[in-house]
Amino acid sequence: MTRHARTAALVLAAALLPSPARAAATVKVVASLPNLGAIARDIGGDRLDLTVIASGVQDAHFVDPKPSYIVKLRAADLLIVNGLDLEIGWIPPLAQGARNARVLPGGPGYVDASTGIPVVEIPANATRAEGDVHPYGNPHYLGDPLNALTVATTIAEALKKADPAGAASYDERRKAFAARLDQALFGAPLVELAGGAKLEREAAAGTLDHFLDATSIGGAPLRSKLGGWLGRMAPYRGKPIVTYHKDASYFAARFGLVVADYVEPKPGIPPSARHLEELTVRLQQGVAKVIVTRPYVEHRSTDLLAQKTGVAVVTLPLEVGGDPKATDFFALFDLVTERLAAALAPAGAGTAAPKGSGAR
Amino acid sequence: MLKTVRACGVVAFAAVVLAVLSSGAAWADDSGDVAALRQEVQALRAEIEALKASLLALQQQGATAAPAPEAVPPAPLTTPGTAPPARSANVMNPAISAVFQAIGQSFLDGREDANGFDLSEAEVAFESTIDPYAKMNLYLTFSVDDAPVVEERYAQTLALPASLQLKGGRFKESFGKWNLLHTHAFPTVERPDALVHFFGEESLTNDGLSLSWLIPNPSGLYLESVTEAGTAREGTSFNSESRALTWSEHLAAFFNPSDSATLEVGASGAFGQTGPTETLLADLDAAGLTGILEPDERRPSDVYGMDITWKWKPLQANTYRSFTAQTEALWSRRDVEVLTGGVLEDDTIASSGGYLYLEGQWIKRWKIGVRGDLAGFPDSETDRTWSAAGVVKFAPSEFQEIRFQVKRTRLNPGAAARLGGDGDQEDTQVFFEWIPIIGAHGAHKY
Repeated sequence: MTRHARTAALVLAAALLPSPARAAATVKVVASLPNLGAIARDIGGDRLDLTVIASGVQDAHFVDPKPSYIVKLRAADLLIVNGLDLEIGWIPPLAQGARNARVLPGGPGYVDASTGIPVVEIPANATRAEGDVHPYGNPHYLGDPLNALTVATTIAEALKKADPAGAASYDERRKAFAARLDQALFGAPLVELAGGAKLEREAAAGTLDHFLDATSIGGAPLRSKLGGWLGRMAPYRGKPIVTYHKDASYFAARFGLVVADYVEPKPGIPPSARHLEELTVRLQQGVAKVIVTRPYVEHRSTDLLAQKTGVAVVTLPLEVGGDPKATDFFALFDLVTERLAAALAPAGAGTAAPKGSGAR
Repeated sequence: MLKTVRACGVVAFAAVVLAVLSSGAAWADDSGDVAALRQEVQALRAEIEALKASLLALQQQGATAAPAPEAVPPAPLTTPGTAPPARSANVMNPAISAVFQAIGQSFLDGREDANGFDLSEAEVAFESTIDPYAKMNLYLTFSVDDAPVVEERYAQTLALPASLQLKGGRFKESFGKWNLLHTHAFPTVERPDALVHFFGEESLTNDGLSLSWLIPNPSGLYLESVTEAGTAREGTSFNSESRALTWSEHLAAFFNPSDSATLEVGASGAFGQTGPTETLLADLDAAGLTGILEPDERRPSDVYGMDITWKWKPLQANTYRSFTAQTEALWSRRDVEVLTGGVLEDDTIASSGGYLYLEGQWIKRWKIGVRGDLAGFPDSETDRTWSAAGVVKFAPSEFQEIRFQVKRTRLNPGAAARLGGDGDQEDTQVFFEWIPIIGAHGAHKY
């Protein structure tokens, strides 16, 4: 090879290969859903150039893969997805169109936030006779705020790999996030007494109740110190609710609620008149006093059920931005627990949420 | 052995102390005591960890001499939540889906040749990544009577630099919007007349290469250029007999005027060659010159297109309400030979066609669409058809759709003659279509 040819080849290679040192100090992150974006923002702070694809008022199953997102993904260092096939209809065409191998499954920038999450409702036999089932299990795991700790760790590790210079900052912010989440979930006094890590372990193992009842301080059981979101929802443990879609399984398990029925006869299948009639009978029999619906589903069915049976209908955002007040992950659960507790409170004990309240 | 037992005892004792301190014992209410207790717990915890480590070391030493006490089962290596891969050869199989299309159609104006129900097409699709660098798609179509056809089969790169993507194989040419769709994904039961007249009953399809470039621009707009070269499958505009190379270029720009609305504008051009027109062959035959005068099999034939698509889908209710307006216009310029006074002379035929499709959705699962077509023919400057169609679509779930369509077509004498008719003609067609999809969940279209 002549010297000229070699030089030309080198120049060509330099032009074609992406430069290893990026000029900007920030990490370009695309998150599929607002909750993931909010957690990433908490961990990454100003080091992130963050784009969130879906809006909080949207149904995460049916986000439109607009080509404009391909432009965002082309330059992204990280793509954070919910995983478990929740975004099967829209992330693959966007990622494959982006011409960016980093953000394809298996690439260094593809972050599946479901990694390490204890997934529930994995169907033994995935068949669409059961509606639009998710073959890898229920993907709405961020309904349990405790799972946000795992997600935060996953995101922090990915950020550290993509931006080693910020590793210390990511670690620090992840710890701060965990501390803030512990306080928000269990209440500051209990965290002060028992330690966040201990409470997380008990909660994850499903033994938190036993721990709180069996441990006492100065004669008072530790339970008396329980505050935060769990404390707010504690009076309603064991209470039944009806949800529109099967998207509250993790939330209900964490807060001790029982999902007694669904407005959809099967996931993704809109309710028929007959199903609504049957549900009306069940609600009249007292199967639940509260129906939980979402900002992006029709309100006709739930309004009809409320009108016929007198149950409360409460619109709870599932994602950050699903309500003007749900500005970040903490505000989301503040709002959800507050609104649901108000709806579950016995008449006269609190202000029941207005019918169909929330963004619409 | 004794050492091991003793160490076990110490660990057990420490664990009991820790348990008592952390849960059973009554804690002093005053925070100073609590802090002191917490420190003690921390210290004990550290001691337990140290003892555990030494216990483990002892067990490893004594492993050969005596059986170690039964260990706690090791944690599974897979992360919880990610299901372990099924032990089956299916794991690496491509995603497979199948679409069936049953169409019933009836002509209401006496033409009975095409009446009846058909399993008009069954399509089986395979998709898989090949390796980290490319993926492959294969679409096999089984039509009513014929052998299966490879409708598309291409490999596509995933990791080319400079925002490039290369596709090779057989693929629907990137010309406008509708040409890229598979029949079951058509917004109406059948293809717009202009596309049928220009490209034939099938999409304009190439065996060749396609290079797509996402054009970088300071405003961050989606600008795409698709350049394709290959041998187009036989159609009216291209390759009636020859297998000449067809070039095409498609430019698309995508805008987001608001969160709920999008606008896509595209321009296309396809440049190829084609053989003699049907009219010339008929004229040669009539003049008894078939075999004496050899018409040119490779005359230049170009088709240009413009497409505009406006979509409105409110973010919060995008599965309940939407509105789409899509239009495409096509122009053809085809060099032909005509028989004049017993000799072949050069001529150029310019023709055009297009459609406008409007679709609205007011409730989940139901959509209503209307389409208007105006279509010339690339080998005639006078033949023309006009049609209007209305379609009602019901999708019980994401995986099936039922459609009912009525279409009224008017053909001028030239166009009617192509169907063996005489003078101006009008046709009314009624279609019923059922499209179920099984298998892998495909990507949503935008």
